[in-house]
Amino acid sequence: MAATSAGRVLTLCRQFQISFRISTSLAAQPSALTLTKSQSYPYRLTFPLLSSNWHCHVGLVGQCRPLHTTISRRGLEEFFDIPENWGETTVKSGAPWTAKQLRTKSNEDLHKLWYVLLKEKNMLLTIEQESKRQRIQMPSPERLKKIERSMKRLDTVVKEREDALRLLQTGQERARPGAWRKDVFGRVYWYRFREHALPWYMNKRYKRKRFYTPLFVTPHIRLRLEKHLRAKTRLQNKEREKQTALQEKFPQMKAQSS
Amino acid sequence: MARRLIYPLYQIGNPQLRIFRPPFSLTLVRPGKEQPQDTVQFRIPMEMTKCDVRNYLEKLYNVPVGAVRTRIQYCTNKKRNHLNQKVKRPDYKVAYVQLVQQQTFEFPDIFTEKDVKSAEGSVEEMQEKFMEDEKQRQKPDLRRGGLTEWFGL
Repeated sequence: MAATSAGRVLTLCRQFQISFRISTSLAAQPSALTLTKSQSYPYRLTFPLLSSNWHCHVGLVGQCRPLHTTISRRGLEEFFDIPENWGETTVKSGAPWTAKQLRTKSNEDLHKLWYVLLKEKNMLLTIEQESKRQRIQMPSPERLKKIERSMKRLDTVVKEREDALRLLQTGQERARPGAWRKDVFGRVYWYRFREHALPWYMNKRYKRKRFYTPLFVTPHIRLRLEKHLRAKTRLQNKEREKQTALQEKFPQMKAQSS
Repeated sequence: MARRLIYPLYQIGNPQLRIFRPPFSLTLVRPGKEQPQDTVQFRIPMEMTKCDVRNYLEKLYNVPVGAVRTRIQYCTNKKRNHLNQKVKRPDYKVAYVQLVQQQTFEFPDIFTEKDVKSAEGSVEEMQEKFMEDEKQRQKPDLRRGGLTEWFGL
């Protein structure tokens, strides 16, 4: 038993050594790698995500894949599903885009994908409204939720990128700066800054706002806190009494974890 | 994805503020009252204006727009929930978009039933046959003349 375990440890050590050697040999030539990478980066091809390739970039024509798709001229027909799907009870659809998948896409692709999703959402909303009107069940209503989810995820991914870029360039944490401020009643809240056309000392409306707490309010702050705590304890007591009453009535009942 | 652009403040002469990922979604609806043939009816979010609708359709859908008229539909406040509280149905904005160049639009019939003949010997076909048989079996006996089961032996 002991011998086998020792052997295992030995083999592990050897593997570790091998991997270490490989990693050091890789680290010896990072300059060449980075050079080739930086050279290849601007010539990276941009693949159109879906068939609707209506964003044609004149400057990138030479670098684009030699694939040409015509602009979709369906116009208002795009508010409806393709005619093959009319009258079907179920329409097949894929899974929503995950954030992981979206993170691998370029900004340009994400921008295109947003519009593809938006058109799809418009189409689904039109179908939903028509089915409501005719009092028929909508074919595959789960598509709406899928679209919403992918749009939300796309939004978060783009916001992540914006945040990262802003942090690098300016060091600001938020897109819209703000500060914690106190109002007249001593409540602290997050005040989001807004650009004004006038400087603050000339701006009468801004000067009317009171971002301070007068001294005579301080006892009332304490009173408000007390009121809040009392309400909280009252709720807790009520809940506890209810639980005890239930326990008396139904002794077999499991205690609720709350 | 911003509904209203507040920050930064727009000053005259600055570049136009742009929304890169518009969150607005239009719903094409069948007009309740009869409309001229070149008019399309949409339900649009409250924040959208006539110019927005025109830009949206022209830029995203390549639909040339002649004129846009909007109104706000007030929705009922009379519905009550199970606690007998009043529940407001949300209002919405309606846009009537007129197309140009004598283009006409008619709302198509999306939910037409399809005559689908399932393949011979498939599972669906057997299921259909079984259902038909079951229906036949469930039917009351014609010889009884509509007499209920209760009178039977």
